[in-house]
Amino acid sequence: MDWELFQQQLVSGISIGAIYSLLAVGYALVYSVYNFTNWAFDGFMVFGTFMGFSAIISLALPLWLAVIISICLTVALSVTVETTSYRPLRLRKAPRLFMMISAMGVNLAIVNTLNLIYGGLFRRFPFEDLEPIFLGGISIGRMDLIAMVISAAVLVLLWGFLYRTKLGLGILASSVDILTASLMGINNNAVAIAVFTITGVLSSVAGLFFGMKYAVYPTMGSITIKAMIASIIGGLGSLPGAVIGSMILGVLETLVAGYISSTYRDMFSFAFLIVMLLFLPNGIMGKSMEEKL
Amino acid sequence: MGYLQAITILSGCNLLAVMGMAVLTGYTGLFSIGHAGFMALGAYMGGILAKELGWHLVPCLLGAGMFSGIISLGIGYPAFRSRLRGDYFAIATLGFAEALRLLLNNIHSIGKIRLGGAYGYMDLPLLKDMTFLPDWAVVVLVCLIALWVTHMFVTSQYGMNCIAIRQDEAAAQMMGVDLLRTKLLALFVSAFLAAIGGALLAFYFGYINPSFFGIQRSSDLLAAVVFGGIQSLIGPTITAILIVAVPQLLLTFAIYRFIVYGLLFVVVMVFRPEGLFGYVQMNSRWITRLWRRNPASGME
Repeated sequence: MDWELFQQQLVSGISIGAIYSLLAVGYALVYSVYNFTNWAFDGFMVFGTFMGFSAIISLALPLWLAVIISICLTVALSVTVETTSYRPLRLRKAPRLFMMISAMGVNLAIVNTLNLIYGGLFRRFPFEDLEPIFLGGISIGRMDLIAMVISAAVLVLLWGFLYRTKLGLGILASSVDILTASLMGINNNAVAIAVFTITGVLSSVAGLFFGMKYAVYPTMGSITIKAMIASIIGGLGSLPGAVIGSMILGVLETLVAGYISSTYRDMFSFAFLIVMLLFLPNGIMGKSMEEKL
Repeated sequence: MGYLQAITILSGCNLLAVMGMAVLTGYTGLFSIGHAGFMALGAYMGGILAKELGWHLVPCLLGAGMFSGIISLGIGYPAFRSRLRGDYFAIATLGFAEALRLLLNNIHSIGKIRLGGAYGYMDLPLLKDMTFLPDWAVVVLVCLIALWVTHMFVTSQYGMNCIAIRQDEAAAQMMGVDLLRTKLLALFVSAFLAAIGGALLAFYFGYINPSFFGIQRSSDLLAAVVFGGIQSLIGPTITAILIVAVPQLLLTFAIYRFIVYGLLFVVVMVFRPEGLFGYVQMNSRWITRLWRRNPASGME
């Protein structure tokens, strides 16, 4: 086996894993507090990417301003969706599956609206291709490197927020038991808004990276399914698990694409998902996910 | 007239899959986001049986249904045995449908059978050549039979068990309902019906392509059941037909279709989670009411 090729694949795998991990952490966070899979993540990510893209192309804004605008708009969307589509269901104590269906509806509406407005074309961010960096025998794309560094920074910031601030601890407490947490004086609505603000930021950043690395198109959100697979591998609801699962999935996928065939890459991911769900449904680090009484 | 027949056939094929979903989702409370996968299994299996083995229509449909049903048990057994949470089962079905679609996209032939990969499986026998009836009549007939059988199923003891599981799993188990067997049975019935829908679709076009059975079709099926309502066959039947017919009749509406679906999903879940026709049973009382002299007497 070619050692350098393997190293190269490992690096590409980790860089795609970094983007997955941003999204997977978002899934895990919502799942840990509210026990449902936020299908609308896909829509948030595509929305964030298109807003950033339009800010650069149509308004000719600099990159940093476009990123800020994209994040703000995505957070606004995410919080609006929370208050209009999830909160009423939660207050009524509807089954989790209803929230999932509601989220799927939000997703369908957002993605198809963007498709209607922008059309299904593949677009590129107007950046020149950056020279890759050579380290020993392997090359690392600068975009990949930036994505890895910023993803790591975002995750560290998130960790700091969750463990070092009052609101973050409130979120962690709610993820253990939301009812008891609210009895202890934690404001449920503030927690909800914080959680969906975080998911908005994460999805927008991940979307911008993905759009810069590949292309911008309305169905680009299908990569969020990979992130969901990653968070299931790690154990739904576990934040460190989501990061580890993303890295595992990113690396395995790249290896499958490199050594077998890239046509089987996605199939491998879904097959892996089914095997995980059937034989290790709690994931690597998850709590027991069996239906309780 | 040909246009109307095409709509009848397309909505009939969808209706079969939706009836399956109604048993699984509306009665048993299990959500599937990948039911198009079972339609694909049925379409390909039906095509193979008819084209390669030259079977007649009815054995083809039953064979396709059995095949899909048995595969569904392969997914359902480990999932239900480990008591996966409901949304995990839904995600597993999504993974199954997507993996199957990608697999069919890449398999060009199995032995002598040329499935054609992403180009699609071609030159299947046509529905109108397989029977002496016109093709739309065959579809309508199959739908009516399926509707009758499904109605029998949901009003039987098995159907009652399904309803008990949807309402409260723990209580159902305490009353002696075998959770695993009942869920597997519901999954089997739903995969069977979806496969028949898929096979009829294949024989209508004479051609199938893995992209017929993507996430969009799965959302169509789910939409029909969610809008149609739980614990009802007639509700999903109406919405299944509407979901195919409305975009076909109002082509300008077709581009807004998924936006409208999406918003309706949210609205239905927030304001009317039991669906538009939740708990409405299929019966013929309204027909007898039409014949009464005094309609008010039938209203109590």
